Amino acid sequence: MKDLWQNHHVRRLFSLIGALAVLAVMTGPSGSAADPTEGFRGSFMEHTSFLGLFTTNRWVLFVFFALVMWGVWSGWELRGGQIRQVVAHTLEMPKELSRRRPVRWGLLLALLLLALFLPHIISDPFWQAAMVEQIAVYVLLATGLNVVVGFAGLLDLGFVAFYAIGAYATAWVTGALPTAPPFHIHFSPFVAIPVAIGIAMLAGIVLGAPTLRLRGDYLAIVTLGFGEIITIFANNLYGITGGAEGTHPIPHPAIDLGPIHYDWGLKPVPYYYLTLIFVVIFLVAFTLLEHSRVGRAWTAIREDEVAAESVGINPLKYKVMAFAIGASTAGFAGVITASQSNNIFPSSFTLQFSINILVLVIFGGMGSIAGVVLGAIIIQTGSMYLLHTPPAGYQPQDLYIYLGALLIVMMIFRPVGVLPSRRRRREINLAEAGEGHMNEVLTGDTP
Amino acid sequence: MSDDNIFDVQNVTLRFGGVVSLNDVSLQQRRGEILAVIGPNGAGKTSLFNSLTGVYQPQEGSITFVGRDNKPLSIIGMKAHRVSAAGVARTFQASRMFSALTAFENVKIGAESHRGIGVIGAMVRGPHTRRGERESDERTVELLDFVGLRERANTISASLSYGDRRRLEIARGLATNPQVLLLDEPAAGTNPSEKLELTELIRKVRDERGVSILLIEHDMKLVMSLAERLYVLNFGGVIAQGTPEEIRANEAVIDAYLGSTAHETEERS
Repeated sequence: MKDLWQNHHVRRLFSLIGALAVLAVMTGPSGSAADPTEGFRGSFMEHTSFLGLFTTNRWVLFVFFALVMWGVWSGWELRGGQIRQVVAHTLEMPKELSRRRPVRWGLLLALLLLALFLPHIISDPFWQAAMVEQIAVYVLLATGLNVVVGFAGLLDLGFVAFYAIGAYATAWVTGALPTAPPFHIHFSPFVAIPVAIGIAMLAGIVLGAPTLRLRGDYLAIVTLGFGEIITIFANNLYGITGGAEGTHPIPHPAIDLGPIHYDWGLKPVPYYYLTLIFVVIFLVAFTLLEHSRVGRAWTAIREDEVAAESVGINPLKYKVMAFAIGASTAGFAGVITASQSNNIFPSSFTLQFSINILVLVIFGGMGSIAGVVLGAIIIQTGSMYLLHTPPAGYQPQDLYIYLGALLIVMMIFRPVGVLPSRRRRREINLAEAGEGHMNEVLTGDTP
Repeated sequence: MSDDNIFDVQNVTLRFGGVVSLNDVSLQQRRGEILAVIGPNGAGKTSLFNSLTGVYQPQEGSITFVGRDNKPLSIIGMKAHRVSAAGVARTFQASRMFSALTAFENVKIGAESHRGIGVIGAMVRGPHTRRGERESDERTVELLDFVGLRERANTISASLSYGDRRRLEIARGLATNPQVLLLDEPAAGTNPSEKLELTELIRKVRDERGVSILLIEHDMKLVMSLAERLYVLNFGGVIAQGTPEEIRANEAVIDAYLGSTAHETEERS
């Protein structure tokens, strides 16, 4: 009996049943003064519908959920052992890896086709708008922040500043600000793309060059301050930004080349394709960057700055570069948002927003491009779903309770994120095991 | 002073607040020489290394390094990455690898760090970038071969044995194409047979690659068999210098090491 209890699969099953029993009570009916135990009894005995298939007692349902979770979890772990062996094997033989490459390309192609046809599959206008405003733009922002946080290991809490700079630069170039646009010409939002990227990048360099000498927490505080400064500027520089009332209408992008004429207009689907093109470009560029000299230098700095410097890497230069690349991605996202939503208001560029993007990166897996994209899609789709079809009693501001709980659970059970990068996972495992327990790390048997 | 010095350290003093870490240290290393710095713990050996590589900035004195084109450079005030670019490579006392990366990647980072950065090139993977990658790959393989780690190229560096990590660190240092290699206790934590192999490797680095060696080591057997000349540090100052034979016979060194306490207390009072 005691041996059985030592088995962590058994212990896990009991913990899960316990946890779900608590959940059952929490979500069950409440008791009354006349019958105090009614709530408790009702939580387990009350009849409820099982996924609409048949009705059963609540406890059956919760035990069933516990068993399913246990099965997935323990099964994953047992299978994980085999997967790790395969990975170790392929590491020894790089040729094995290249044999699997067609599979990966096929998968990517399928995903791209799915992304292309998505607006035809989903016709609900709410979701079509959400796909652009809440998902595609956030994917872009998360991949940009991933360069800063994941690749270079710099904690940036003011990412929203660059997004705001991109959006306001668009407004400026198209003549939607009280300030005169450059050369007094009202350009198309397409012209704003290079301008906004350039200005955001410049802002990244100007902020980064003096502050990236700071380490860790100090940098986080400086970037936090920068984010606030930009918001306050946008709010109060009435003559330049239009203040809290927002900008004048920003024109929609349009192509006008003689016979070729296309106006993006109000519908979200054209913006979806426009964003998709750029998302793909950014993803490809960042993937190549990760596996280039620059990506390796970032990893080296992240792991041991002193050692990196001793082999001739200039940490400041690479950090500023990461900052500038992240900033220009956010700047581009700002162009999309500004040109699609017509008006921009300072109130949309809050600290909350920066943290939201950071959550996507941490949830998806810092440093892993695929992970961050997946994380952004999962969280944003989830929160949009809650907004679209709210469960009984759900208020929009409750979202952060759920996000917070999700993060806590993630940090306890899977601190590396949903789809971590190989390098990052090793780093976190090494850090958890301490440098002395290498064999455990490599076999994945960390406690 | 001969013209063929690679390092010329003159009267260097390094202080941390009130603590004097290096006190008026002078040292010369000839080009192509295997020079050792020995001394008890806390004598200032690693501080000297950090001063030579731009990690610490001594308050007084001068450090001149004569690099590739025979142009003397003043190390004091230079950033560590610039010192590396000038031709000074080093290893660390507790070896500092990029532990989550493979042996191959570790060396490659050294091999490519002195190329231009080229972000745009990296993002579109242009022909220039690809050629650079190929050259770095070849250089990395050659160096892994040189230190005898070719079979372990795809191993995560954290899982290498102590001896292999030392070799890897040497390979990473050599990848930056240095004139001089500074080794901080290369034999610490290795077993006798690994020690022997390391000695061979260090000699090979000098003989086959013409890289001067400056090393700190506690293992007397290794130092005496390897070094051509030694400096002895104690309490931040140089107390002796000379060939291994001279050092072995030096009174002050024997005192510092065997700790003739009676003698010391006498001197202090």
